[in-house]
Amino acid sequence: MKNLFYKSGMLALVASVLLTSCDPEIDAPIVSAGQADFTKYVAVGNSLTAGYADGGLYLEGQLNSYPAILAQQFALAGGGEFTQPLFIEAQSNGSGYLKLTGFDAAGSPVIEPVKDKLAITSMGTDKKTPIYAEYLDEVNNLGVPGIKMVDVMTAGYGYNNPLGFNPYYERLLPKSLTAGALMPYVNKVASTDPSFFTMWLGNNDVLGFATSGGQAPISDADKFQTSLNAMVSTLTANDAEGAIINIPDVTGIPFFTTKATADLIARAAAETKLYIIAGTGEVREATPADYVLLTSTVGTPEAVGPATVPHGFSQFNPLGNGEVLDAAEVADVKAATTNFNGMLQAAAQAKNLAYVDMNAFFTSVQPHNGQPGLVINGVAYSPAFISGNLFSLDGVHLTPRGYAIVANEIIRNINLKYGAQVPTVDETKYRAVLFP
Amino acid sequence: MAMAGGYQVNLASQRQIGMGHTGTGLETGTSSIFFNPGAMSYLRQNGVTIGASGIISKIAYRAPEPGGATAEADNPLGTPFQVYGVYSISDKLKAGLGVYTPYGSTVNWGSEWNGRFGLNELSLEAIYIQPTVSYQVTDKIGIGVGFVYAIGGVNLQRSIPVQTANGEYGKAELDGNASGIGFNAGIFFKPSEKLSLGINYRSKVEMEVSDGDVSFTNIPGALSTRFPSGTQFDAKLPLPATLSLGVGFMPTEALTLALDISRVGWGAYKSLRFDYSQDVNGASYAENARNYEDAFIYRIGAEYKVGDALALRAGAYLDQTPVQSGYLTPETPDADSRGLSVGLGYKLSDNFSIDASFLYVNKKERTDASDKSGGIAGTYKSVAYIPGIGLNFTF
Repeated sequence: MKNLFYKSGMLALVASVLLTSCDPEIDAPIVSAGQADFTKYVAVGNSLTAGYADGGLYLEGQLNSYPAILAQQFALAGGGEFTQPLFIEAQSNGSGYLKLTGFDAAGSPVIEPVKDKLAITSMGTDKKTPIYAEYLDEVNNLGVPGIKMVDVMTAGYGYNNPLGFNPYYERLLPKSLTAGALMPYVNKVASTDPSFFTMWLGNNDVLGFATSGGQAPISDADKFQTSLNAMVSTLTANDAEGAIINIPDVTGIPFFTTKATADLIARAAAETKLYIIAGTGEVREATPADYVLLTSTVGTPEAVGPATVPHGFSQFNPLGNGEVLDAAEVADVKAATTNFNGMLQAAAQAKNLAYVDMNAFFTSVQPHNGQPGLVINGVAYSPAFISGNLFSLDGVHLTPRGYAIVANEIIRNINLKYGAQVPTVDETKYRAVLFP
Repeated sequence: MAMAGGYQVNLASQRQIGMGHTGTGLETGTSSIFFNPGAMSYLRQNGVTIGASGIISKIAYRAPEPGGATAEADNPLGTPFQVYGVYSISDKLKAGLGVYTPYGSTVNWGSEWNGRFGLNELSLEAIYIQPTVSYQVTDKIGIGVGFVYAIGGVNLQRSIPVQTANGEYGKAELDGNASGIGFNAGIFFKPSEKLSLGINYRSKVEMEVSDGDVSFTNIPGALSTRFPSGTQFDAKLPLPATLSLGVGFMPTEALTLALDISRVGWGAYKSLRFDYSQDVNGASYAENARNYEDAFIYRIGAEYKVGDALALRAGAYLDQTPVQSGYLTPETPDADSRGLSVGLGYKLSDNFSIDASFLYVNKKERTDASDKSGGIAGTYKSVAYIPGIGLNFTF
């Protein structure tokens, strides 16, 4: 009997080994760095590079930044350690950020700030800029929210002073003047000496103008070119390879499309029209060529003389200049974007670097003919606010899923340029907007 | 999972599985109810057969290059079965009843893989109940026809790409019972002791689900009205017609050779559509194109009788996939498949015999963009091991 058990047990074992060894297998693709050298990857850029999302920089966003995702994938092809200036767990909400708490009766999202576990340690000497917990170790992710291309050579850009400064750069710098508190960004970049880099700068040179409804200036083109030259020659000083990522069309993002002017006009009560204060100061009727900003309070009931009218729907209560990017301003921002992208592309070509046309990519994800522009793994993506899965609650920055999709697009371009075979990431492992 | 093309399951008799599932042009005993009701009239005794197979199947998946994601479907054991009973009313007229499972699919990818918004798991089953009559017109020709009443069910589960505050995804489960009708008719022609021919047509059966249940779980509260509870669905799934021609050649008493060619009318499967009783995420239905194409199956098989009691069998087949390029889905990650089978029969007494079979199915590795079907792009590869056993009683 014992023998029988033994024999049947052995038989079952042999059978299971046989069946397991006959599992279907699909050959894994070869992973290689090609002509690229990922030993030391450094990311330079602005808020997008830092992992900024939902109107703030916080730990989860940092952990899911596209450079962190790239580094994780580069590590499969010989890439080395990648350090980010992470907020600690106790201060994980960093600068604070926005959270979706529900929808109101009209179906509009209710968005509230998260204010606990912040990394704010004090207030700057300008009495308005918060100081964040410092991170003085060398970092590979030099993404600095708010930085423009034209800021990279500015001494004191990250120095706590009464005239204002960039707190996200300030936290990366020593505090003493002799130790480098005034160091311009380009010098900080130079000290990292990368073997491979990505540079995604220039967005803020047009975005600041656009999100202010045309009140902040567009960066000066000559200064943009000079700063770009300084960045690229610094990054490639030791023959590093890399990728330059261009500037998407800012008018394609939810910050400008969610309160679509055409919809606002169509939904207005009969005989009422939407009015704006144009950049020229003129009060005029809005047209679909004007972009009402996500932050506008359009439609909120307001008293106008004895009557109550929805904000914007009276020529005596027009949308403010800062609530609208008017048609002329749209033309300005598009022209500047095209101009800056031309410079970025020329720089990439001159140094034989990968050029990632993120502008074309984000244009391609716009829905056409009612069909989503992008479907991956059964999920539809679009630049729609909240429902489009790509953009976070500030309507400008991406969700972790959006950053993963961007990282994959960058990887594809790097693979193409350098004959590399770096695997893309499974974007479904990264979250989109969370709902209460 | 379905181990023939599409979601067809060609496992209707352990004796015939051993012979590459040929049988349209043979006297297959009680299983002629399935293979060719025309041959049923040739049975000389009353008989009952029961049998079942166990489908051990595995599917490997890899995301499109340069993606690194992989997955493996951990499919539950599939157990297609069959029961046939044939009663001799007269020398020439026989009546029979068959209960068998010619279509079905169980595939489980789980809720973690990158294709989870396409599919977590699918279970599809159809049981055909077929009362059949067969008449031997002359010594050389038999005809037969059966009415098919099919019952079954579908259960489909997938993740929904909305996340709660904890980052958990919603889930939808569609569950419903289905039924349909059809027929199975055949003509069997035996011009000599050494040669037999058959033609068989099993009609399409349109399985209809009405008032199936859609249940949503893990939906964020803020979106609960977009995924309303109490939603029901209607759907239709065609179980396609199959036309088969078969030849049997018996050069000696001991040796039987068989050849079958089948054409499966998969073209009937145009789309998978669920109509909801109330809007789900703003839509009153969900529809994805399938646009299957008709497909051929080529089979060969042999049986050799070693003495009176023992029969040894072997066979092979090629089964074309009905799934066109661009339409691959994780529910049926189909490809052209190759089947190799062996079997044996043993006669324990005059009235009782036993058949055992083993079938190995290997589907070609297939890479597809799945951009026309709402599927999950990537490379799929399936294999299956299918042991089976059948018992035959005659009286």
